[in-house]
Amino acid sequence: MSLPVRKSVFVGIAGMSLISTVAGCAPSAQAPAAQSTAASTGAATGSAPIAGTGASSSAASGYKDGTYSADGNYVSPNGTETVGVELTLAGGTVSGVNITQHPSNPNTRKFQGEFASGIAAQIVGKNLDELNVSKVSGSSLTSGGFNEAVEKIKAEAK
Amino acid sequence: MPHPGWAAFSFDGIGTGWEIATPGGLNPGQRRRLLGVVENYDAAWSRFRTDSLVAQAARQPGRYGMPDGAGALGLLYRSLYRLSEGAMTPLIGGSLEQLGYDPDYSLRPHGASLPAPRWDDVLDWQDTVLTTTAPVVLDVGAAGKGQLADLLAAELRLQGVSQYFIDASGDLLNSGPLPVVVGLEHPYDPDRAIGTINLGAGALCASAANRRSWGDGLHHVLDGTTGVPVSTVVATWALAENAMTADALATAMFFVSGKVLQQDFDFSWLTVFSDGSAAYSAGFEGVLFE
Repeated sequence: MSLPVRKSVFVGIAGMSLISTVAGCAPSAQAPAAQSTAASTGAATGSAPIAGTGASSSAASGYKDGTYSADGNYVSPNGTETVGVELTLAGGTVSGVNITQHPSNPNTRKFQGEFASGIAAQIVGKNLDELNVSKVSGSSLTSGGFNEAVEKIKAEAK
Repeated sequence: MPHPGWAAFSFDGIGTGWEIATPGGLNPGQRRRLLGVVENYDAAWSRFRTDSLVAQAARQPGRYGMPDGAGALGLLYRSLYRLSEGAMTPLIGGSLEQLGYDPDYSLRPHGASLPAPRWDDVLDWQDTVLTTTAPVVLDVGAAGKGQLADLLAAELRLQGVSQYFIDASGDLLNSGPLPVVVGLEHPYDPDRAIGTINLGAGALCASAANRRSWGDGLHHVLDGTTGVPVSTVVATWALAENAMTADALATAMFFVSGKVLQQDFDFSWLTVFSDGSAAYSAGFEGVLFE
């Protein structure tokens, strides 16, 4: 490949199907269902229509009905991600998802528009076990206390 | 371990796990001095302990002398504050606490979201001296881990250790010259990677929206006004000469595109969006799996 230096490029990536992602790696068994609710801030609204397989796994999870705000949970390990979410649980499944755009988000969305047009590809994951790497760069190990607290909240919602 | 036969020194510092790998082991004196570097940084910058300088600044305004390195940190933050039009700020601590990301990790919002105060209204950051005109909750978390990695590297060099690999829970600093193959963690599944990169001398830092609490739903969240999947940044990587810069830029890419940032910074970048797409600069070419 010979692309001009410093040129930003898109990559077409495939393989992570929607259903397998929900059923396969959602540790919290939160399967968004088809119910759209207007975000109170009016900045943006999200709904996530998922049917079937995803919902059945959360029915078994035993979460109490109610509305759970997950604002704090959107703080990135580096402390500045500003997307918030409110989940409504009904009958053990997620019946509503509100995406809240915090003040900094319009900027994010503005520049994301530069990239997002016409791109509908998916990243491809490979199991680390199958790769010959000794180091991993990512954020999942960061901020242990924070992650523990999230687990506590999930326990309380049970 | 980055290389066969190397020895690792592992410890916890500033709320995360660290591993320093070197060709020969580090003796107790060397380890003690490295931990001293960590303690000094924590004592100045941690907002999770009541005796830190940052905690004092949260209680009362005043003039605070920060340790060496604060000057570079301030310049970096100021630059990113400008480029992000105020979105990325060291004054974000109060907003984080309001959302429950407080010293107790309550994770309970204390009320409506609170914007950070404007920099010029409350803070004058001149080299290592911070002068505040109101109680402010400083949070340098976006660059602090990287800067501490750089400070540890400097201490190692001072001790005559010229080859090292520092792993700050996924933020990496390699002295070189030996390259290390690094997996890029899948934003939705820490057991998988989305690509591998050969990291020579330099730093590779990552930032990601925390996925655990809300499952994997975001990439199929639709915008009700358009019916189009919401495309928000879910993971970023930055490759730069030092870890402070790479760390800060990885966070900045949540607010400003890598394309724009590279007009001001010499770095390579990779951004993964919630719809599964990715964009990257030339330094990440051929890195992602196809």
